[in-house]
Amino acid sequence: MSVKVEVIEGGIPHNKIMIAGVVSTLVCLYLTYLNVLTGTEMFSFFGGLAVVTALIWGSHTIKVLCSYGIGTGVPSAGMIAFGSGVIAMLLATRFNLLAPIVALILAAIIGFILGYVSNNILNMKIPAMVQALTEMAVVGALSLMGFAALMTGGFTFAGLTTGTVSVLGQTLMTQQQSFMGGCLIAVAFLLGAIAIQHPFNACLGPGWKQDRMLMLTAECGFLSMLVAAVMSFALITSGSAIISLIIAIIGWGYTYCQYMALSKRDAAAWLDAKPIPEVEGH
Amino acid sequence: MSAVAAKPATGAAMNPTAMGIGVILVLILLGICWFVSPTVGLMALIGVIIGGVLIGFGVHFVPVGGAPAAMGQAPGIATGVAMLAAGGGLAGLFGGAWAAAAGQTPIVVIITGGVGGGLMMAITCMMVNFVYVFGMGIPAASGKVAKDPITGDSQAEYKSQGTEGHGLPFVSFVGGVTGGIFAGAGGTLIYLELLNLYEGALPTLMQLKPEQVLPIAISMAGIFAVGMFLVNAVLTAYNITGTIEGPHDPKFKRWPRAIVASAVASALCGLVAILIVLPLPFT
Repeated sequence: MSVKVEVIEGGIPHNKIMIAGVVSTLVCLYLTYLNVLTGTEMFSFFGGLAVVTALIWGSHTIKVLCSYGIGTGVPSAGMIAFGSGVIAMLLATRFNLLAPIVALILAAIIGFILGYVSNNILNMKIPAMVQALTEMAVVGALSLMGFAALMTGGFTFAGLTTGTVSVLGQTLMTQQQSFMGGCLIAVAFLLGAIAIQHPFNACLGPGWKQDRMLMLTAECGFLSMLVAAVMSFALITSGSAIISLIIAIIGWGYTYCQYMALSKRDAAAWLDAKPIPEVEGH
Repeated sequence: MSAVAAKPATGAAMNPTAMGIGVILVLILLGICWFVSPTVGLMALIGVIIGGVLIGFGVHFVPVGGAPAAMGQAPGIATGVAMLAAGGGLAGLFGGAWAAAAGQTPIVVIITGGVGGGLMMAITCMMVNFVYVFGMGIPAASGKVAKDPITGDSQAEYKSQGTEGHGLPFVSFVGGVTGGIFAGAGGTLIYLELLNLYEGALPTLMQLKPEQVLPIAISMAGIFAVGMFLVNAVLTAYNITGTIEGPHDPKFKRWPRAIVASAVASALCGLVAILIVLPLPFT
């Protein structure tokens, strides 16, 4: 099954996207640490930006992998990315400040072994398999960590498992109302898994263009960030959640317009079909 | 690599060296687990590996048709392995988790998980056949075998020319339900083992009362079970390279590869999931 059906022509080389993705995701994740330094939750939105950058990198990795006919459909790649990523991410959160780095290393180890298993034991024999599965596990782990930071304002195990609830003016600690206890991680899981696999699934084919697919990824990422920002109202202060929400809406609107423009650029022809006109007098 | 230089589909060929390395890898991971947590952790990891292998084996039974099935040109359910396995297995997982919350014994919980998965696949297979027969107007016929191995009905007369068969023959239906039972039971076993581990270890780790950590234990065991389930299902999907008709398909003979692969993947992911409750060497 190692027939490469598409080639990358032009565009940014994959290694450049990968390095940019790792660096910017880690920087964005660590910028959420400003929350702790300043004692606020205003910088949670950097978690959402980390999600978007990680997803852009991940969707290009999926393009590299799925250019070979793996025969299982593109969504399976997104599922294995987050399935292996969530396991690495949760263990990494216990390392407090080192969490993003540990998540990166641990996910890379898990992804590497899964890549070896599929390439050798399962006899896939796809040249890009090991590297792609390694990258995708890292993307899955870092995007989930980004979601966690966006919703709770931090990425430590204690922060993800404890929340506060105010009863009769008193603030109590609770485990129920937290990222883990409320199982918001399940929503984050699927928000990320769908956002990572959709762009290549939607844009593949002979008319594939790198910038169009990556713009769609950014759009999907901001759309996921928008949902996550709404959910973050439950866990962080309203003002901080509104900042995340506004950034998500602006980012989504911008990338959506850009994606429409790129789609029109690549289309053979397009017709601006108006809504069904309301004919008066009958 | 160009299409010309590429070898034909590797098919059912086994790679003995890689299989051996896989088995050694499982033993190494079990050894690490024994080193860090000799009793509770090791038992949990063995349970997780059995669960993962059940998932990997069970997914082979499920009749996955993919895009050709959506056009009525190949037998099976018209979607990918990851989606089908997730549907069947997660339904089983919900069923098993419900039984666990009701305080049932482990064996009842696992059987409930299997029944949940099998039920989900039975409903899916039946509705798929409804759509094929009454919606698309095509009979069920297998393209891989001349006679249905269970009922003995001949297939060739019903098969349209130029297709690999269509619809869901009886054997594929049975395969789907069997696969759902295996996968659901496997997913539930993973969930149950991790839940027991977390319920026991988290209170001391987080210095909280057992009822306080319960939501976290359930949530963590659940998301780990989902993650491992998807990893195993996708690895199996890679093994059968997309589509399979059911237990009578020649591709079914590839299952030993998937058993080793699932064991390695489950041992690895399970070990990481167990390490999360152990005290760190430095903090």
